[in-house]
Amino acid sequence: MQTIALLVKKPWFLGSLVVVFVSVILWNIPIEKRKYGLTQSGLVTDYTGLLPERIERVVKAENRSELQRIVKQANVDGQQIAIAGLQHSQGGHTYYKNGVVLDMRTFNRVLEIDERQKTVRVEAGATWEDVQEAIQPLGLALKVTQSQSIFTIGGSLSVNAHGRDIRFGSMAETIKEMTIITPEGDIKTITREDPDEWMKYIFGGYGLFGVIVDVTVDVTENKLYTVQTEKMKIDAYASYFDQLLNDQNMAMHYARVSVAPSSFLDEMYVINYKQTEKRDYVTALKKERSVRLTKLALDIGRHGGALENLFWGTQKRYIASIDGKEITRNNVMRSESTFMEYTKPGRVEVLQEFFIPVHRFEAYMNELKNIIPANDKNEDFKIHNITIRYAAADPFTILNYAKEDMFGLVVLMQHGLKEEQISEATSIIQNWTHLTLDHGGTYYLPYYRYQTKEQFRRSYPQWEKFAEEKLRRDPNNVFQNMFYDYYVK
Amino acid sequence: MNHKGTRYLPLVVTVGQVVIFPYYIIWLKEVSLTFTLFAWFFAAFSFAAAWGYQIAQSRTNKDHSYLMFIYAGMGIVYILIGAIKNSSDILPYAVILLQVILGLLQGYFRAWHAEQDTYHLHAVHHYLIVGCAMIGFSFVKIISPVVVITIFGILMCMCAVWELMRNEKKKTIIPGK
Repeated sequence: MQTIALLVKKPWFLGSLVVVFVSVILWNIPIEKRKYGLTQSGLVTDYTGLLPERIERVVKAENRSELQRIVKQANVDGQQIAIAGLQHSQGGHTYYKNGVVLDMRTFNRVLEIDERQKTVRVEAGATWEDVQEAIQPLGLALKVTQSQSIFTIGGSLSVNAHGRDIRFGSMAETIKEMTIITPEGDIKTITREDPDEWMKYIFGGYGLFGVIVDVTVDVTENKLYTVQTEKMKIDAYASYFDQLLNDQNMAMHYARVSVAPSSFLDEMYVINYKQTEKRDYVTALKKERSVRLTKLALDIGRHGGALENLFWGTQKRYIASIDGKEITRNNVMRSESTFMEYTKPGRVEVLQEFFIPVHRFEAYMNELKNIIPANDKNEDFKIHNITIRYAAADPFTILNYAKEDMFGLVVLMQHGLKEEQISEATSIIQNWTHLTLDHGGTYYLPYYRYQTKEQFRRSYPQWEKFAEEKLRRDPNNVFQNMFYDYYVK
Repeated sequence: MNHKGTRYLPLVVTVGQVVIFPYYIIWLKEVSLTFTLFAWFFAAFSFAAAWGYQIAQSRTNKDHSYLMFIYAGMGIVYILIGAIKNSSDILPYAVILLQVILGLLQGYFRAWHAEQDTYHLHAVHHYLIVGCAMIGFSFVKIISPVVVITIFGILMCMCAVWELMRNEKKKTIIPGK
């Protein structure tokens, strides 16, 4: 104690304390700065924060009967319910003006793993990461999920998500059975063979047809894959992919297109995951790593112009460096996400996804050059990356984006929040959507509503059937959200 | 005690710092990302203030106070805060640096001030003036925190100039006595 008192009297000691403490703070300044989501103060937003809305309250149910009671009571009271998980949907899909938000994050248990049947029964508010943690020690892995494992199961199914796998079809196809609470408050166990076709509307139903309580999902072996990377020109990609699809050794695949001025929509690289015979039980699930470094690289790219060329060059070098490495299936399906956080006041970074038939890819990319500028350094509307995924034809769901085998172009873009900046972004995205539709494509619905109602209806011709079934199955309009209100109602 | 600078400048600084404190807190809250970081920013300020206080106390030649630089330093920091745009990604990193500089300067100033004859009188006066000033500010409905912070920064720079002039005057008087 006396030593401490003596030390405090020394300016060098206090100076060192300041230096050490400041170093600790500098290292711990969080990358994740975003403040969004559910609050009890009554104003909610989702991941972009572009559609703040006042709601009545957020409710959390502790068990199924409580969930059921909430839905039944809403029928009696004329109350509207929106269903929320982690709210990565960006167009007001998880809340509704003056409505109740059902926060499903309390339903997060992995209920049962059947190793023999290779199935997992899990509650809808759990994340894919929760499932991965439960099945990885058993040498099992998911069949289809997004490239990141941060989303809830209920949320992913509600947006009918897809991922890097090119063999198992859509995510919906991997669901054997699910328990839902219907708009009238009944608990139902449904399958794909269900004569009432509930699944057809629940997948890609954006929480408008019922609450997903739990699902039984097919899983597969956690195989070890060899990474194969290649750089190529855009005009070679469609035929390259055809060959790839015929090669049964290839399990997963994605590609990235250059948006750097020097090789804009001309160069791309592909990443394939080739089967090995080895099944993995021991490799740990990978965690977020080198976040500051990857964020710095992305921040450099965000400036556009020569810096974006530099970023693209860095990406190519990195991709070339992982060629030949081995990775487990589970780890392919859990890419890092924190480094992408972007929280500059007055600006927003959003996603859009356009689906284009495989055979139209080259012509489409050539015409796309007329819509987005090659060098966006001095533009307000900037594009940071375009990733390409494969989405196999999905004839099952009602609002299906993959009417045939499609490439999905996942686009990360940024724009300002002033009225004229949003309007400029809207105009560019609408032109882009128009081009996509002209090539027989569609766009994805979980994102912010830049597209017109006419574009929505053209992209999803079955929307009328969707609306009709919504009224038939939910006559009291219990399940509501801002997406439905804007596009369908 | 007879110098106007010794009588009034420390009072201006102590009163000013308390008056702008609520505005400063609002600004700091806006740039902090989480409560943890907000608290850490204050901790850094406090550690730096202890350091500054100890530096001032350990000085052997206490007649030479460097006060002019202290006022100018505080002024520049507050003006910088007023000029910073909240949109910068590196803002938290800049803020931690400013917190340390500000803490160091304030600690040093406090140590100097506590040893002045005027200190106890100032302590009473500054509470009264702050009370009145805050009542006055409560009637000003729309004013951005950074405007108040910047104005105080300019005032601090003026204090530095005043202190410089006072020192120059003292130098010219002492040789002749």
